Amino acid sequence: MKVAVAGKGGSGKTTVAGTLARLMARAGQQVLAIDADPNPNLAVNLGVDPGAAAGIGSVPLSLVHHTETAEGKYSVGMDVAPEQIVAEYGAPAPDGVTLLLIGRVEAHQAGAG
Amino acid sequence: MLEHLADRDGAQTVTDMEAGLEHLKRGTLEHTDTLLIVVEPYFKSLEAAGRVAELARHLGVPAVYAVANKVQSARDEAAIRDFCAAKDLPVVAVVPFDGDVAEAERQGRAPLDRTPEAPAVVALRELAAKLLASAGSPRADRVAD
Repeated sequence: MKVAVAGKGGSGKTTVAGTLARLMARAGQQVLAIDADPNPNLAVNLGVDPGAAAGIGSVPLSLVHHTETAEGKYSVGMDVAPEQIVAEYGAPAPDGVTLLLIGRVEAHQAGAG
Repeated sequence: MLEHLADRDGAQTVTDMEAGLEHLKRGTLEHTDTLLIVVEPYFKSLEAAGRVAELARHLGVPAVYAVANKVQSARDEAAIRDFCAAKDLPVVAVVPFDGDVAEAERQGRAPLDRTPEAPAVVALRELAAKLLASAGSPRADRVAD
């Protein structure tokens, strides 16, 4: 199952996403929790200690390339295998969940497009 | 990037998406099979949820649901249900307003760890069980442990 949780800021979407990820893992699923929010806080909602959460690195945007099709639709691709991304950037969370940060805009990337 | 990660064999993914709509046109929902739109019982939240649902359907997401959150009264619930019914958007869970969730937030802890029996957490257990059952997971009952 590939679940995405959307909502306005402050709606509680991160609490829903984090709690669901943990519960799915408890049910025996292998769960990858992906924080795609530029201001990430899924880690704490997953039960990762705030100190440890602050040290989790985001997948660099340089590994991702966007292409636009003739129809004006965007396609996103990566130059590195997904397994390698998860192995390198995945952080452990309770109940065996693996957390991946992909949306954070680092200070040195802001404005770089 | 999401679709590449989501294509890994066997793994389930739960993605906390960027707030707002702008990212949707960048293909962020491309391989999502279940979209949960968290909605609060006030007009702007409902309106935004309606737009996300419409876009997601247009993009071909197979299952699009609303999750009613921070519901304080029967009137709140009715407001969300009425709006979603008009938009043909199924409400898959009703999560009550729960002070324990806000308190967990203040303490930097997961509500599931701090207050596993809080009403909001119980509602999310039911949601997880429902989703797992719809995906045919044989151990869907385990989320109730």
